[in-house]
Amino acid sequence: MNQDRSLRRLVRREIHSSRATASVLTASVLAVVFLWLALESVLALLRDNPVLASPGQLGHWLAGVPDKTIPAGLVAAGAALAVLGLVLLAAATAGGRRSRHAFHSDRSAVVVDGEVIASAVSRRARLSAGLAPGQVTTTVSKRAVRVQVRPTSGVAVDRDAIVTAVHDELAAYSLDRRIAPTIHVSKEGALGQ
Amino acid sequence: MSQTNRALNRILLALAGLVLLAAGAATAAAGMMPGVAASWAATGSSLMDHAGSLLDSAPLPGPARSWWAVAGVAALIVAAGLSIAWLASQGGGRTPRVGRQADGDRGTTVVETGLIAAAVKQALEGNRLVLGTSVSAWESRGKTGLRLRLQARQGASPREIADTAEDLVQGIDALLGHPLPVLVRITSGTKTMVAGPDRAR
Repeated sequence: MNQDRSLRRLVRREIHSSRATASVLTASVLAVVFLWLALESVLALLRDNPVLASPGQLGHWLAGVPDKTIPAGLVAAGAALAVLGLVLLAAATAGGRRSRHAFHSDRSAVVVDGEVIASAVSRRARLSAGLAPGQVTTTVSKRAVRVQVRPTSGVAVDRDAIVTAVHDELAAYSLDRRIAPTIHVSKEGALGQ
Repeated sequence: MSQTNRALNRILLALAGLVLLAAGAATAAAGMMPGVAASWAATGSSLMDHAGSLLDSAPLPGPARSWWAVAGVAALIVAAGLSIAWLASQGGGRTPRVGRQADGDRGTTVVETGLIAAAVKQALEGNRLVLGTSVSAWESRGKTGLRLRLQARQGASPREIADTAEDLVQGIDALLGHPLPVLVRITSGTKTMVAGPDRAR
């Protein structure tokens, strides 16, 4: 049971984003701002020339922002800040699921890129219907697999064979989270295949 | 498999987002409502006066002039240090060794990741489905885990690769003598794009 839990943890951490990029960016900006403020404070205490603005100047500037800026500018700046804040909040609260899927395994945590699944499903569908490369495209998302088939012009495509092949392929993966396939056979055929 | 503290990342990002959102809302409100702008200016100048009198209230001989100024600088440096600590907490936990066993006074045996990497590479030589491998070891919660990354050929069935990986893991278990937690990653990468699909078999 313990083994199982640590495997599940491995899978979970591999499938979801760690939010490291957003954290690194935010932390870098914060560190630079704090270090700069500290430097300016020390320079002001030593009565030295400020690098950009002394804390006193900065305070006066901040207090005077509404008087010196036109209202539209204030609204625009406020909106920009709010949007940035919303982006960070979204990064903090959204699921952050990556395009990866877990295969069931008793021994190890197996995580497969959605891209690999897509190209394998395409190939299986293509071979089952006797189509040329490029006539089947597959997109894999969180809970669905979409197979788009473009038949050869003038040749009927065996839809049932493709459906069976795709179902077989997906069943073989024993995915931890079921994904349902949908198969679209387009009306227009491909010429010269 | 890194040791990044994900909950902490999300909490701190949420805090930063809330602060920015509040600042943005205040700025926009000041632009739209003259009353807010006026109270902003009034609060700002009263805070400046307050800071000035605070600085004078705890005088300190020498260039620093005030205890409060010293405290302010110290607080800023602590805040910068905490930001850098947050920055440094990303990633980490990778280790060059898979196992280590002390054998009394006769010495210590260390198994490096390179051994497993070489074994995996050799085992997959001539495998049409796997284009590249990489093996790394990670420490997490005091336990060492193995991360096995296999680059799939375009169109290769991940089931077959996963079965191959299962065999590999059994081999690794036999090689090391004790099972480690293993993460198998079946990925596509640059090699997948370059190598193209396998011919129909």
